[in-house]
Amino acid sequence: MSATGFTGIVVIVLFLGLMIFFSIINQEPKQKNIRPIPAYDKINQEINVSVEDGTQLHISLGRGGITGPESAAALAGLSILKQVIEKSSVCDYPPVVSTGNAVISILAQDTIQGTSKAISVADKGKNPSGELVGVTPFSYAAGTLTTIRDKNVSANIHTGWFGSEITWLTTAGERQSTPTIAGTAQLPAQAVIYASASDPLIGEELYAGGAYLGAGKIHLASISAQDIFRWIIIFIILGSVLLKFLGIDTFFEYILAGSM
Amino acid sequence: MNIKLRAPVSAAIAIGVGVVVLAGYFIPSITNIRFALLRTGLVLAAVALLVGIINLLSVHFKKMGSDNENSGYSLILVIALLLTLVVGIIDMVQSYMLGQPNFQMTNWIFTYIQLPIETSLLAVIAVSLTYAAASILRKRMDLFSITFFFVILLVLLGSFSIPSATLPFLHVIRDWIVRVPALGGARGLLIGIALGTITTGIRILMGTDRPYGD
Repeated sequence: MSATGFTGIVVIVLFLGLMIFFSIINQEPKQKNIRPIPAYDKINQEINVSVEDGTQLHISLGRGGITGPESAAALAGLSILKQVIEKSSVCDYPPVVSTGNAVISILAQDTIQGTSKAISVADKGKNPSGELVGVTPFSYAAGTLTTIRDKNVSANIHTGWFGSEITWLTTAGERQSTPTIAGTAQLPAQAVIYASASDPLIGEELYAGGAYLGAGKIHLASISAQDIFRWIIIFIILGSVLLKFLGIDTFFEYILAGSM
Repeated sequence: MNIKLRAPVSAAIAIGVGVVVLAGYFIPSITNIRFALLRTGLVLAAVALLVGIINLLSVHFKKMGSDNENSGYSLILVIALLLTLVVGIIDMVQSYMLGQPNFQMTNWIFTYIQLPIETSLLAVIAVSLTYAAASILRKRMDLFSITFFFVILLVLLGSFSIPSATLPFLHVIRDWIVRVPALGGARGLLIGIALGTITTGIRILMGTDRPYGD
């Protein structure tokens, strides 16, 4: 086994252990223990608004599939979709969902149907669509614009894998004077949403949706595990800087080269 | 009974495949199994594309029939889709009859219709981005937004290549921004994304997060 493979297994096992540990010790986890993220507060707020006003939320899940590096962002978007549908079960009009990937479209429809069954939505005609809007970046963005411009849509949630074309979606939301919550894993698109979305999700915030939308204690435990790892990485970076400064970094390189 | 069994079975398959694919990254002896599962996934994704297109057609047929202000767009989409499909089928038949690949008409559609449209849309993005950057201070007047705005301004000014309007020190500032704070920030974001990706993956492998129905 290579050194990279061994490190990967260690990281995953440690993560798994920490998540199980935190989910056991926090039997009654409190959401207030985690730092506030305004975008998720806004989602909760907009769900309430849609219930009171009889409007719809629009959730776009991006173009990410499940076989590439974009899969985690797409699955995080699906997880947020599930929570939003559960929370908005008493809405007159359930959320409308658009995707730019066929597999995610099917998973979205499955999530919608599964969640709708769980919340006993009798009228299937009212269930959100989860339609495939377009398969290229621009066809997806252009197709989603018509949903954003729908007068009954009160807020837009863009979570998943987007490129710079997300600026169309966020700008269209702004023109409609509807709040736009947006998060993606692509770095250039993150800069775009920071500039153009009313409530951006930056970096790992996209993956924390479950913890902030009440998906369960394992989601909160994963946030705690991430924090532990973040501190470990900070210490490793600072330690590496110190070792480099003291000139002992090559000593460890020799050790690693010899043992692995 | 059937409904009750469906969720655990689908979850078990998803978790099992996920675990084997993950293990395949670290254990060389099961790499072949990982590739076989990934190939199966790709075939399923192709079938899903067909299902997605049928779904897209049905949604837009419904929109055309209803009293929808965007029904014209739906009509254009359906005509374009069917036309491209017919052209593709004709090309396939011709290729079969000639005994060699011949996708001239399909290539023509991509080269002279789709490519120019997408290139034009790419140009529109530049306008949208400029608008977004200019309006950021109107949306959020805080320290981070002000910093963001002035960094954009500095980088843009430093990127000018008009000889009479070029200021040498702006090039130096731009290079420093790109090499030091921007690179550091990007690495920080990537570390955060990597941590989020790992936890999302583990939650799905544990079956505690099931974004594929229940």
